[in-house]
Amino acid sequence: MSRLKDPVPARLVISVLIKDQERLQKVSAELETYFGTLEMVSTWMDFNYTDYYEKEMGAPLFRRMFTFKDLIEQENLHKIKLTTIKIEQKFTNEMGQRKVNLDPGYMTPERFVLATGKNFTHRIYLGRKIYADLTLIYQKGAFKPLPWTYPDYQATSMLVFLQIIRQRYMYTIKGLL
Amino acid sequence: MIKQELLDILACPQCQGDIYLNPAKDGLICDACKLEYEIRDDIPIMLIDQAKKI
Repeated sequence: MSRLKDPVPARLVISVLIKDQERLQKVSAELETYFGTLEMVSTWMDFNYTDYYEKEMGAPLFRRMFTFKDLIEQENLHKIKLTTIKIEQKFTNEMGQRKVNLDPGYMTPERFVLATGKNFTHRIYLGRKIYADLTLIYQKGAFKPLPWTYPDYQATSMLVFLQIIRQRYMYTIKGLL
Repeated sequence: MIKQELLDILACPQCQGDIYLNPAKDGLICDACKLEYEIRDDIPIMLIDQAKKI
């Protein structure tokens, strides 16, 4: 009989995409309300990979990445995505257009996964209209992109940030592996 | 030793402002918050409640 093993807790990582940089503190306070104490925060990253968000959010857009002290259960990713959608709705204008875009994901020793509401060939359904996108895999000491990985998640600044996150994460879960 | 490119990507988790390496290269300083985040085993510990007041 096969013996099933509990999955290791994951590190929650949330991308915050925003035009008005001064609004960031309010957004991060909101994130802390739901996900607990912030741990790693990135410096501003340029976001010029797509104009997908331009019509709704304006331009130029900037990104910060956040991680949190508390680890999460991997199975809760879809619920976390639903919570971030709720937070986005708090930051909308009178036309219902978002002023902030939140993309949650998690890191485990082997991979980095993003939650998305958009179905696609390689995405796995998690529940409640949310899918998992296997964005990066960790091999030979580095995060590696896959054929479908968005260019912004292949950028050096992103990979460097995720590498630091992983170092700290691996230290945190040392006793659990 | 922790690489400069890694430090360049990190901000203070409290004010989200700039941080820099201390002279002993074992901590990251945020002047605005007057906090120093320890670097332990080459890993920055970016937790406000574990940061040292300076």
